[in-house]
Amino acid sequence: MNTQQARLGVEGYLAGMRAALADLPPAEVAEIMEDVEAHVSEIAAELGEGETLEQRLGSPEAYAQELRTAAGYPARTEVIKKHKITGKLTKSRIAVWGFAAAVVFTVLAGTVSVRDPEPLILPAIVLALSFALIHEQGPELAKVRALPEVQKAKELLNQPVDTPAGKALAYLRSLQPAWWLLRTLLLVLAAVLMTRRDLLAFVLVVALAAAAFYGGPKSKSDRRWLWVTLPASALAAAVILGLIDIAADSVRLSSNSYPSYQVYQERYENIYPFDSNGKPLEGVLLFDQDGKAINAPDVGGQRCPNAEPVIPANKYPRPKIDWQNGQCVTIPPSISQPPPASSEPPTSSSAPPSSSSVAPPSPSK
Amino acid sequence: MDTSQLLKGVLDLAVLAVLRKEDGYGYDVVRRLRSGGLNDVGDASVYGTLRRLYNAGLLTSYVVPSEEGPHRKYYSINEPGRVRLAESGKTWRSFASTLNGLLGEVA
Repeated sequence: MNTQQARLGVEGYLAGMRAALADLPPAEVAEIMEDVEAHVSEIAAELGEGETLEQRLGSPEAYAQELRTAAGYPARTEVIKKHKITGKLTKSRIAVWGFAAAVVFTVLAGTVSVRDPEPLILPAIVLALSFALIHEQGPELAKVRALPEVQKAKELLNQPVDTPAGKALAYLRSLQPAWWLLRTLLLVLAAVLMTRRDLLAFVLVVALAAAAFYGGPKSKSDRRWLWVTLPASALAAAVILGLIDIAADSVRLSSNSYPSYQVYQERYENIYPFDSNGKPLEGVLLFDQDGKAINAPDVGGQRCPNAEPVIPANKYPRPKIDWQNGQCVTIPPSISQPPPASSEPPTSSSAPPSSSSVAPPSPSK
Repeated sequence: MDTSQLLKGVLDLAVLAVLRKEDGYGYDVVRRLRSGGLNDVGDASVYGTLRRLYNAGLLTSYVVPSEEGPHRKYYSINEPGRVRLAESGKTWRSFASTLNGLLGEVA
């Protein structure tokens, strides 16, 4: 045990004792603590590898109780809160807040992780450090449990069963195994998507998925597993958000590009221009805003592939090439519908503009 | 028989006795009691007893700075303490001989 660790252990122990003696006159507490501080420091210096202060001296509460009895102080009536360490930057507190911050950052970085997994490195490092701080089980984990903020979180998560909040929590808890499964699937999916960018990310995320799958049930008894399972949950939830974002993007993209080819290539077979008097025009060349010719699909269709193409292809109205009596026949352009915007629709709807040798009233399909 | 029960009644006397020759700080007193044969004595009990004797005016204290770690508070026995030690010692001896007598008859 190095001196830094020993020091923190001593301070935690003394804080616990101060709390247990808090009802005595401050001057007396100060006197007692003067003795005890030297005592606990000396014991801490004597400790062997892996030995803790509490193994040697009992809990701070027990120590305080024994001292009170021997000193003849009145017994403490109110319930002593375990390890009332408030406002001090202890190792356990750093571990807990580092852990919480890393989980939050995992959610933030996780939403873009499928596209770019690199920001996940930061929470991963913080989590590793935080875990290293609490890893030695024993006293440090007990202190984590005793932190006021952790107690508060526990209270929030353990509502009485008969309240609505308690019922909701109980219901969510019953879904936990299903979530463990879903979490694994989501993480594997994310890992597969990351492969394109980063093979290392794939390996790490799959490892996380496996560890979380294994640790999920275990985290109930050994809370250290939370250091794996909670970030895994955060990442899985973030992956859902990330996937929703990607899906929304692709919907936007396709709805933007949809009209660009449908209007010209599929809706229109032919174009019949008219002037403002309703007079049909012929030989009109159509171009779009980029100067590109607007071409309707080939008029020949499947049955007359060898029909002479219209040149230029954007000259409207086009003659229609049809299949009649076993051969391809070129039909001069004719109007199938009256012009929509004209005040005076052309009367001779079937009248071809020029040589009217063959004039079917409406083009056959 | 659990010696810790017996110890409770006579810890005052034992602490005064080990401070009779030489001043000592808390953990020092604990060590002296243990090396004197009171292996079961609890650290906290000794510290509590020191506080009680101090508050009863039987001990005085002074602080000695330490180069490493916190300062040590030494306790020393004063005149009322010595008087109490003598009285209590006498009481204990007579009590012990009475009990020995009883045990002698039984055994």
